[in-house]
Amino acid sequence: MWGVLVVNIILSIMGYSVILNIVPKFKDMFVKAHLSGVDLNKKNKPELPEATGVITSCIFLIVMFIFIPFPFSKHFFNKEWGFPHQEFVQFMAALLSICCMVLLGFADDVLNLKWRHKLLLPTVASLPLLMVYYTNFNSTTIIIPKPLRFFLGHDLDLSALYYVYMGMLAVFCTNAINIYAGVNGLEVGQSVVIGASLILFNVIELNGDCWANHLFSLYFMIPFFFTSFALYNLNKYPARVFVGDTFCYFSGMTVAVVAILGHFSKTALLFFIPQIANFIFSLPQLFHILPCPRHRLPRLNQDTGCLDPSVFPFKEKSLNSLGRLVLKVYQMLGLIKVERTDKEKELSTGTNCTLINLALKLVGPTHEKNLAAYLLALQVVCSMLAFVIRYPLASLFYDC
Amino acid sequence: MWGVLVVNIILSIMGYSVILNIVPKFKDMFVKAHLSGVDLNKKNKPELPEATGVITSCIFLIVMFIFIPFPFSKHFFNKEWGFPHQEFVQFMAALLSICCMVLLGFADDVLNLKWRHKLLLPTVASLPLLMVYYTNFNSTTIIIPKPLRFLLGHDLDLSALYYVYMGMLAVFCTNAINIYAGVNGLEVGQSVVIAASLILFNVIELNGDCWANHLFSLYFMIPFFFTSFALYHLNKYPARVFVGDTFCYFSGMTVAVVAILGHFSKTALLFFIPQIANFIFSLPQLFHILPCPRHRLPRLNQDTGCLDPSVFPFKEKSLNSLGRLVLKVYQMLGLIKVERTDKDKELSTGTNCTLINLALKLVGPTHEKNLAAYLLALQVVCSMLAFVIRYPLASLFYDC
Repeated sequence: MWGVLVVNIILSIMGYSVILNIVPKFKDMFVKAHLSGVDLNKKNKPELPEATGVITSCIFLIVMFIFIPFPFSKHFFNKEWGFPHQEFVQFMAALLSICCMVLLGFADDVLNLKWRHKLLLPTVASLPLLMVYYTNFNSTTIIIPKPLRFFLGHDLDLSALYYVYMGMLAVFCTNAINIYAGVNGLEVGQSVVIGASLILFNVIELNGDCWANHLFSLYFMIPFFFTSFALYNLNKYPARVFVGDTFCYFSGMTVAVVAILGHFSKTALLFFIPQIANFIFSLPQLFHILPCPRHRLPRLNQDTGCLDPSVFPFKEKSLNSLGRLVLKVYQMLGLIKVERTDKEKELSTGTNCTLINLALKLVGPTHEKNLAAYLLALQVVCSMLAFVIRYPLASLFYDC
Repeated sequence: MWGVLVVNIILSIMGYSVILNIVPKFKDMFVKAHLSGVDLNKKNKPELPEATGVITSCIFLIVMFIFIPFPFSKHFFNKEWGFPHQEFVQFMAALLSICCMVLLGFADDVLNLKWRHKLLLPTVASLPLLMVYYTNFNSTTIIIPKPLRFLLGHDLDLSALYYVYMGMLAVFCTNAINIYAGVNGLEVGQSVVIAASLILFNVIELNGDCWANHLFSLYFMIPFFFTSFALYHLNKYPARVFVGDTFCYFSGMTVAVVAILGHFSKTALLFFIPQIANFIFSLPQLFHILPCPRHRLPRLNQDTGCLDPSVFPFKEKSLNSLGRLVLKVYQMLGLIKVERTDKDKELSTGTNCTLINLALKLVGPTHEKNLAAYLLALQVVCSMLAFVIRYPLASLFYDC
């Protein structure tokens, strides 16, 4: 087992250095292919290559391809238990789902598909996973947390709903990372922290009953961590490349895949606390209860060189009653700031409902580099909180 | 077995109608994303969406994903023989190779990668196949044809060379289809004929000893045939879409995959006779022994509306001795026509060394629609020749 893990780590480190080496060389090719974006939060508004996540995803896939024989060749697996057929098929299904997600994600970056497609694509890409799960296990029973057991019994068979849950997990992870973005290094940085947290969790659980599931997860998380960390070095402030939706899709799907096949999706979601908070906070804008501008990233103040929260303009009369209610509640909780810009035309502005803007509102105008650092520190703190919930508190909810 | 095949056919037909439905709707999206090409052989030079092969490839993948449980669910396989674990893993590995090839092929169409990458990408995409083959079988022994047995013995273990051969098969199939192109409907049309031939071959062999391999091949070839046939309707004269290198990669890889896993790569290559002939004929230009222009497709004669062979210009003095030799041999065999255009400057032109130009030279100027029909008829005739070689003549070479 340790030999196979060492091979995995070595291949991942090789992937790391290949990425740092080749991604800058693709810059001109991407810009010429119209895959580029303007860094709006810099004074000189440089044009950077977009969707470079496709390169790191391909390196990840190549690392995994080369790794295939190692966990499954006759020299390495435990002969007592026989050949791990089911794990082999799951391994291939997981790679197929990730590969398909990268293909669809890259097509999204190239073709600029609509928002409803962003919900459809991860569902399609998770089909191999769901199909193999159905063929291999078809176990759709979940264990009920202790406090609810007198309601629902010890366990509950969700049947088809379990597949919906698995499909939705991929959709959620990909899009939650995608909307928690807008500052150099944030998408990749959050993925690196989540990857590291899952690796730590898996290593701890290697001593437990379900060690095989966690070993399987490590085979994916270690290359994921190293390839994403390489991309972080290129995307952190000041960014030299943009990662594109391709990276968010790849990232969300890889985490969803190990969470589903490792049977620890609830713990995995614990590491998504900032993403979940940002998502819930954003819901009124995502559902257009409040107006939702094209970009909600923070705005550069040209004079100070720092970032301010960005705003959405609105006419008070154009909001429906639900919109006015949400606005009031958010204002009361101090989550957004509403200002009247023009008394006669009754125009106002409200700060966009994202965690990034909220952080700026609480901390005050901040330089982009520091803001990224604060948000990543928040991610680390939330991961530590997740461990506290998972371990001491878990025995309150479950027996194991 | 028949039930599973019926499901496969039904899903494939559904894929066929989905493609005919949705591909035209993507036209504007592709053109806006700068994925478009000019149809040079039409008088009005229309701009058509390029790389639409990515859409049909995705529909193929979705059909295969939905199909996954059917051959492997406990209701369908023969319980006497136990669960077909190895076939399941190979199935997933095959899909992973095809999916990876579509991803890399689409990236090539978007980024316009160099020619040397066109040799590298199929090799990378065939890695899952090779790795699974190594893990499952690692059988690298080939049976020697009877006439050579006195030299080499009954069989020969190629070991590492067998993997090189498998990797090269993917590279060859993808690029052979890619360079045999330039007339509306040719790339897709040749793939449709090859697929139909392979399906017929597989159906015949279902009564033989290796029926399981051929059933496995049918699971891929039937959806491949229907999805490609749908694209053919959109790409045949007058074309409404271009298929892109993405389609050639997808097509070549799918055939290579079933040929490798079904252990009938030599028979599969028999169905590639026109592609092989075109490839060998093109070699001097591909290796720059003779000059190779960017495009070698036939040229439209604006007055007649018919196609003439295209030419490459050259100075006789600039050719090396090998170039002059090749030129003479090709002229002697009547394969190309060399004309002097300017006696003072010693400029000449030679017809480009492709099967398409050769056909035009033999038949005379032809309308694009008829040329495509002739070439596809040639493909069908060569397939029939392949069956004649395979069946009556095969017993001269092999025992079974």
